[in-house]
Amino acid sequence: MGAGTGGAGALTAAGMGGMRMFDGIQFNSLSEFFAMGGYAFNVWSVYALFAIFLIANLALPLRKRRLILREQKRRLAVLDARDDSAREPADSAGWEVSMAGDEK
Amino acid sequence: MAGRWQWFHRLGSPKWFYEKTTRWLPWLVGAMALFLTVGIVWALLFLPPDYQQGHTSRILVVHVAVAGTSLSFFPLMAVAGTVTLVWRMKLADMVARNAAPLGAWFTFLTLATGSIWGSVSWGTWWEWTDSRLVSMLFQFFLLLGVISLRSAIENAETAARACALLSIVGCINVVIIKYSVDWWNTLHQPSSPISMEVGSPNGPEFWVATAVMIVAVYLFLAVSLILTTRNEIIQRENKAQWVRELVAQAR
Repeated sequence: MGAGTGGAGALTAAGMGGMRMFDGIQFNSLSEFFAMGGYAFNVWSVYALFAIFLIANLALPLRKRRLILREQKRRLAVLDARDDSAREPADSAGWEVSMAGDEK
Repeated sequence: MAGRWQWFHRLGSPKWFYEKTTRWLPWLVGAMALFLTVGIVWALLFLPPDYQQGHTSRILVVHVAVAGTSLSFFPLMAVAGTVTLVWRMKLADMVARNAAPLGAWFTFLTLATGSIWGSVSWGTWWEWTDSRLVSMLFQFFLLLGVISLRSAIENAETAARACALLSIVGCINVVIIKYSVDWWNTLHQPSSPISMEVGSPNGPEFWVATAVMIVAVYLFLAVSLILTTRNEIIQRENKAQWVRELVAQAR
């Protein structure tokens, strides 16, 4: 879907109704932009909520992925240590590791 | 679980999904970032102020995109639920399970942004007599219901079936939300017809920006749902050889 900018350009070129789709940036200064014509609270709180919504639902799954992989890796290491110690029962350190892992 | 359905099960296997999405994710994330950037910059800087709403029309680009997309959760969960009920496909249930909390986020954001817009344009944050507002709030509670039903039932398979049923029934509310503005026209306006004329209400300068944002929000839904579903796969399938290899390779 190239309607984002390409379509808009086409509509502008067609010169519809004397007005253009892009009259450029609608603000003359940064302070005017922040003021939002007196509705700063409403506009900016909506965009802040939108940003939190986007970031939270991307960052939290990524963070959880890291935690899961780390935990699984530890679990595998414990299983490996158990295998090794089964083969070499003399290695008591291996047992301690596996017992600690079993506790969770 | 007849032999002839094995290909179907393989198609819907967690491993298949994980491998496919590994390849799709970079493209989806790239497209999402592009559409989000264009949509937000357009809505905040280039959208001309509405002759009645002033700069609060910038809120509607976000509100309309998130609200429209939030209606896709129950149909999505119902389709996944049907697959769970009929074919007992594990992957479908994982998708349905992870869709519910995301849907609650979408619905909450719809209610919040609508309320913040309404406080200016309608002079009220909330109106109990408006059917659109109340049916949307009901969707929020229904989604919380699906989430708590899942955790309330001990047996995982029973929980999956109960959630599937509730998701299918919940689709009725989506129809009510969609047509509420036409059936009981109280406060929330019906959707404005799209106009091709610049300068008219809902002319292209508004709806093309909204269309860009809708695509962006749908891509975001896909990316987030894929991420949470992949997490569940590596958790639930941790005894499978391919997950062990994946874990071993991780950092």
